[in-house]
Amino acid sequence: MINRILKFGLIFVLLILLQVLLFNNIQFSGYVNPYVYIMIILLLPVEIPAWLLLIISFFTGLVMDLFTGTPGMHTAATVLAGFIRPYLLRVLSPRDGYESNKVPSMAVYGFQWFFIYTLVMVLVHHTALFYLEVFRLADFLRTFLRVLLSSLFSITFILLIEYIRKRK
Amino acid sequence: MRNLLNFIIKYNNLIIFLILEGIAFFLLSTGNSYHNTRVVKGTRGLTNRIELRISNARSYFQLREIGQDLAKENMMLKNEIERLGRNEDQPFSPLADSVYKQKYIWSTAEVVNNSLKRQKNFFTLNKGELQGLAVDMAVTANDAVAGVIVGCSRNFSVVMSLLNLDFRLSSRIKSNGYFGSLSWDGTDHMHAVLSEIPQHVTINIGDTVETTGYSAVFPEGIMVGTISEFEKTGSDFYRITVLLKTDFRKLHYVNVIGNLQKSEQLELEKPYQ
Repeated sequence: MINRILKFGLIFVLLILLQVLLFNNIQFSGYVNPYVYIMIILLLPVEIPAWLLLIISFFTGLVMDLFTGTPGMHTAATVLAGFIRPYLLRVLSPRDGYESNKVPSMAVYGFQWFFIYTLVMVLVHHTALFYLEVFRLADFLRTFLRVLLSSLFSITFILLIEYIRKRK
Repeated sequence: MRNLLNFIIKYNNLIIFLILEGIAFFLLSTGNSYHNTRVVKGTRGLTNRIELRISNARSYFQLREIGQDLAKENMMLKNEIERLGRNEDQPFSPLADSVYKQKYIWSTAEVVNNSLKRQKNFFTLNKGELQGLAVDMAVTANDAVAGVIVGCSRNFSVVMSLLNLDFRLSSRIKSNGYFGSLSWDGTDHMHAVLSEIPQHVTINIGDTVETTGYSAVFPEGIMVGTISEFEKTGSDFYRITVLLKTDFRKLHYVNVIGNLQKSEQLELEKPYQ
């Protein structure tokens, strides 16, 4: 148990650092802003209680907000992602159920399963985040384009990181 | 009572979700407004040390360009001194900045954190109240508009960038003096939009756009950019796209300008507005 908490703490710190030091500095014409830190929520164990998941989401978002100077924005989006995760996992449940004590990873459930799981989570998170940032519907299509392009890059990076993790 | 408890047990996750989202939206609505800079100030203070490190590393890679810019500026200043030296014989000096009624005070600062990719962009300077900076001072880079200070802590200041949907600047076309309102439309970091210029005015692509000094924040005649595109809209006004002179992508050394007579001007204007 202690071991798993430590491992999660390490993932948390590494992903936050990666986001702040590397991905937050990618400035590609304002359309591509990958947010890879959402992987923290993706990699929590399947059987984690929903309330704990929500609280971890809340603090993850809060830490990101501290670094980007946007109080509430990342928090709201990440809490939303944490809220839908249990329902999504129920929908995506494999034929013989989830294995206990395993994180939802590519190594256990395969590429296709992990891809769909990541796709839905990232789209929900990015949609909430970008529309909250603009906070009006005037530029609906342009914001939508930003959501799609950023999601594309986030998903690519998450799959890449997950692939490296799987190889290890 | 039991029904209530049952309800809470049944929907406890939904309730936690709603409470946490409520906190997030509270932060969102109170923390991001133009005038409430306390949250920005408080939160930025925590992460500034890390950003300072990143900035130090980055400034190393830009040394060559910075050196060139400084040399260019030096040359300009030398020319200026030369020009001023000759003017001194005149009995009536055209300068408004005599010792007793100096209007603007200049200072320099370094950008330690910058963002371009958000819709409401801010950047952070490495000087604050202790170094004499204050809220509502103007920030320029290479003599072109960059932003306005919205929050100061002891050693850092947060600047609302021109690339911010809330930024408004009174600016005019240099060739004919017609003024309008300049704002950023959120599309890209090279262009902004100048509105409220009536359609009977003749304008050309390449015309210089500069500040008017009406807002008491920016001095008169600081360059904003050049007109890159204009079109006649259905209304009586042009929609003018301005190519910004400041390259926010490599913003590093900036000037800060404080208006010493600002409070006097605003106080006088107050009853009439």
